Amino acid sequence: MSGASNLTLGFVPLNDAAPLVAAQERGFFAAENLSVRLSREVSWATVRDKVAAGALDGAHMLAPIALACTLGAGGDPQPMIAPMALNRSGAAFTLSRRLTAAFAPGETRRAALARLIAERRAQGEPPLVFAVVFPYSMHNYLLRYWLAEAGIDPDLDVRITVAPPSRMASRLAAGELDGFCAGEPWNAVAEDENLGEVAVRAFEVWRDGPEKVFGVTADWAQRNPEVLQAVLRALLKGAAWADDPENRAQLAQILSRPEYVDASIGSIARSLPTTSFHHNAANAPLPVQAGWLLSQMMRWGHAPRELDIRGMAEAVYRLDVYNQAAADLGWPMVSPPEAADGFADGRVFDLGAARAYAESFALGRMVKG
Amino acid sequence: MRVLVVDPDPARAALVVEGLAGVHPLEVRHATVFDENEVAVFGPDVVVVAADSPDRDTLESLRDASVLNPRPVVMFVDRSEPGLAEAAVRAGVAAYIVDGLAPTRVRDILEVAMSRFQLMHQLRQDLEKAKADLASRKTVERAKALLMKERGLEEEQAYKLLRKLSMDTGRPLGAVASDLLAFAGVLKGDGA
Repeated sequence: MSGASNLTLGFVPLNDAAPLVAAQERGFFAAENLSVRLSREVSWATVRDKVAAGALDGAHMLAPIALACTLGAGGDPQPMIAPMALNRSGAAFTLSRRLTAAFAPGETRRAALARLIAERRAQGEPPLVFAVVFPYSMHNYLLRYWLAEAGIDPDLDVRITVAPPSRMASRLAAGELDGFCAGEPWNAVAEDENLGEVAVRAFEVWRDGPEKVFGVTADWAQRNPEVLQAVLRALLKGAAWADDPENRAQLAQILSRPEYVDASIGSIARSLPTTSFHHNAANAPLPVQAGWLLSQMMRWGHAPRELDIRGMAEAVYRLDVYNQAAADLGWPMVSPPEAADGFADGRVFDLGAARAYAESFALGRMVKG
Repeated sequence: MRVLVVDPDPARAALVVEGLAGVHPLEVRHATVFDENEVAVFGPDVVVVAADSPDRDTLESLRDASVLNPRPVVMFVDRSEPGLAEAAVRAGVAAYIVDGLAPTRVRDILEVAMSRFQLMHQLRQDLEKAKADLASRKTVERAKALLMKERGLEEEQAYKLLRKLSMDTGRPLGAVASDLLAFAGVLKGDGA
């Protein structure tokens, strides 16, 4: 690489933009001779469009967006790659206080929710409304997984809508939402304002499940392999810095600034420990995790049932590109596991039997041939 | 024409009103944030939203939701973002208006957006139907093969039996075939 590279990277105001923010604020980009402008974006659709159009070189991205773009779900296919994961876990499902007030003591939250939903249906009341942050998001698939496990059909028994994370708390307060699934600090903000209560956290459904990735177009990655490696090295250092409990107070202070997350330091600091930015090889983009996401997209009719899940997972989640950056930093390389466990229901996802897994659920929208 | 403009900046709603002067009947409503209930009540023919609006994700999700009647979405794009508009169109936005555009062009753009949306909507429905037809035909073929094997019927007889079941129960041939396959699976011990 000759001379400094000027890059614009996008992020959405959330705690898990931390690896990008830390790489900028701690000078890890500068150390790689990169001149980076971080661009605060207000919607995932804009992030996706700007990356596709080249207005952003790369971005903080919901893991399923990179897959959905490559698949062409909802539009023309635009091949993207995820050469690094930014974090694991961190999302949560918050229910409004109005709803949790009707829960009986000793009842699990999900059992109580299933009971309320059945009662509402019997009385002819409209379904409960839950919001997620984007149709193609871990939040949507986790919420669906968790509801369906209790026999609640996410398409028929409740209504799942989409709202911007920063507006979830106010919509909960206005009574327009009964619950929402979003990243932090927005669950903590709703709790701190006494509007809602976390019913379940992502890691309680799938320990070490995926969340955000760093995404670029496949074309950009091919044209800028050295710049990409430099960005990944800086982001990996940023992720390691953000993950260190000693840095948490300082990180919360930086993230709370108006140009980043623009929320209270207290809510951010309280919710940072629920996210893993680096430990447990959190930054390795594992194809088996992409495969699980694709199996859920297939299950709910967001991806065609003929899809080659392994082929797509390995084409988008580029563990080889990650491993090169890890090796350059002297960090351990990661070999791709074939199966993923850590699900609360005890099931194991096997990348080699992804379609059978997608078909195996009692509730789903797959067309069975 | 009913138009909903979702934008904190009232100037853009004013531009739309100016551009649509002469259209009768016309109702342009301006909202600073997107509200699903308002859309359900107002029933706009087209929604205009700023490219940098946080409500874009919500609008995008409505496009895929079959329960709600989807609406064509037109986006206001800043001139300083080349290529963004094209990317948005590839991802499903019906049309776009570049900031600084003469009001006289607004009407054309909204009309193009509505007709393009209709076309895409029709294509999607046709595709869904074609897929469902194909799936149903495959199911019927498999049910026929099962009857031929288990009951020793000729292909024609197997088909007639399925058709009779369909007529007797008043259900589509594909549904009857699918039930038959499911029950055969249960009898063989699948899913037990």
